[in-house]
Amino acid sequence: MKETPQALPLKMLFLLAWRNLWRHKKRTIITLISIAIGFGLSVFSIGMQDSGHHSMVKNAINMGDGHITLQQQDYLNSPANYRFISEGKDTLSQLNTLNIPGQIVPRISLQVLASTANNSVGVQLQGIDVSNDPLLRLIAKKLVQGEWPEAGDDRGLLIGTGMAKKLKAKTGSKIVLMTGTRSGNTEAQLGRVRGIFESGIAELDKFLILTDLSYATRFLVAEGGEKQQQPLTRIAIFLDDEKTMAYWKEKLAEDNKNPDIAVLDWQDMLPQLVQYIVIDDVSAYVMMIFILLVIVFGIINTVLMGVLERTREFGLLRALGLQRNYLVMLILCETILLSLLAVIFGWLIGGSIHLYVAQYGIDFSGMIPEGTTFAGTFMDPVIYSELSMHRIIQLTLIVFLTTLASGIYPAIKASRVTPVEALRT
Amino acid sequence: MKLLSLNNVNKEYQQGDVTINALQNVNLELSDGEFAALVGPSGSGKTTLLNIIGGLDNPTSGLIQLNGQDMTQFNEAELSRFRLFEIGFVFQAYNLVPVLSALENVELIMVLQGKHKKDREERAQHYLKLVGLQTMQHRRPSALSGGQQQRVAVARALAAGPRIVLADEPTANLDSENAFALLDIMHDLTHEEGTTFLFSTHDPRVMERAERIVTLRDGKIESDESR
Repeated sequence: MKETPQALPLKMLFLLAWRNLWRHKKRTIITLISIAIGFGLSVFSIGMQDSGHHSMVKNAINMGDGHITLQQQDYLNSPANYRFISEGKDTLSQLNTLNIPGQIVPRISLQVLASTANNSVGVQLQGIDVSNDPLLRLIAKKLVQGEWPEAGDDRGLLIGTGMAKKLKAKTGSKIVLMTGTRSGNTEAQLGRVRGIFESGIAELDKFLILTDLSYATRFLVAEGGEKQQQPLTRIAIFLDDEKTMAYWKEKLAEDNKNPDIAVLDWQDMLPQLVQYIVIDDVSAYVMMIFILLVIVFGIINTVLMGVLERTREFGLLRALGLQRNYLVMLILCETILLSLLAVIFGWLIGGSIHLYVAQYGIDFSGMIPEGTTFAGTFMDPVIYSELSMHRIIQLTLIVFLTTLASGIYPAIKASRVTPVEALRT
Repeated sequence: MKLLSLNNVNKEYQQGDVTINALQNVNLELSDGEFAALVGPSGSGKTTLLNIIGGLDNPTSGLIQLNGQDMTQFNEAELSRFRLFEIGFVFQAYNLVPVLSALENVELIMVLQGKHKKDREERAQHYLKLVGLQTMQHRRPSALSGGQQQRVAVARALAAGPRIVLADEPTANLDSENAFALLDIMHDLTHEEGTTFLFSTHDPRVMERAERIVTLRDGKIESDESR
């Protein structure tokens, strides 16, 4: 026995595997269709879910405080009017030297009591640059009464429809905004309603008052801020490319010389949204596991039946001198081919649905009532399926490896065939 | 020249509490180029003996030497290799891989042996021509008759260049005409190639073609006649 057999060449293995796969055309096709439909549907549902999440994050960033926020260290855990960046002007000019691609937006956020002759409610006063803040683009077109305040309007207020109803206020109404300072004094400022908006988010419409920075600054001055230094609650940075967020966050944290200022991204600012997405993703993965289970049993059924009915043939091959491990390889080759076909057909089905929905979208406005919020943000009514390259590779690999793993048991079963017993059957 | 020798080979099976002696103290020698038949009634131990000689089954005790090598010392992988290079098989039925053509079936063992494509194609075509199936080399087993399938199996066994071909009732499923045709091919090739043929049968007409008849009864060799 000087001669040593070579491994059964891959070409021969795949030829045998391919022909074996098509011995029972109907069975193979039915299995392929069931895997492809399951895979296709999961491609579609994950594409929709990713898109929904993306839409929520995008809206949370746009309606909220941008991709990156600079604010007082303790503000996130314990928001208070007196926790502000006292030297806002210097911080802004430092940021401007960095040429960050995007928009740097100064803001003041305050918890105040709003009173009219009719009622009083706790509100959030948001001081913005009325001529340049990204909220201008979002809220200005949602005005249902009045007009957007002009730059430098140091009395003008914009309120939501919910608050207007509570305070029984309309355009031109006077509202007194009042807050207690850390030193125990009371600071009150008179404002006048310039316009009323309906953002579509019920919480915002009930709770938010927008005003120019010049008006809101008065409250920070009352807290000890110096007007010349331009005190700010936060500086929001809206990046042109969200993929650069991690880079800029790290860069800003490195450059930050002031230990009182924290550099946060939207995930730090909106932990509840991150949690919501994680939980939603987990539920999608659970669903995916069920789909994969169906796929696994579909494949095991096809391959195992193929193995059991070929016991004699395996016995013959073993008798002729085929080693056990080549029988394992043969069955795994059959499974690889089946899973490759399943992935191709799956992508044809799922990819076609995805491309259609990515182009034309699905309108959910009939299913989701207007003003519904999820984790402090909202989803666009029309969702366009989105699949990143990362997702495409992940889904393909998961299905391919699962299918391949399904072949292991039948392959081991085939390799255990002993020639004498098999040929006797 | 002595090719195969069996010394005091025993094979016991356990069937429930009963021990069945399938082979008892079998002593047998075969030389190169012999065309021998193993005969005997059903249950006499013909298949068990062929399986043991072919390394498909292990004896309970005894010594088996083929081409000077003690087969009882081989592990499973070594037996597999041994079968691949030294032994050719022709079974009663279900001899061929259904998804491969006649030519591919004949080539299969040579693929496993690692022979080059050109070499194995030439050999496969040569042996298919010898068994008279050159024109049907691209047909799959389902498109061949039972007799033609057995001839492909003979071509496959010989093309791999074994020292001995073991055939377990190769003509059992064939009509007389096909059975004799297959035996004639086996007989002619034995002489042309110098390959040893040992086949089992209980058909008296088939026995007549053998040059040596070893008769088994109840697991023992009852007679051993050369003709």
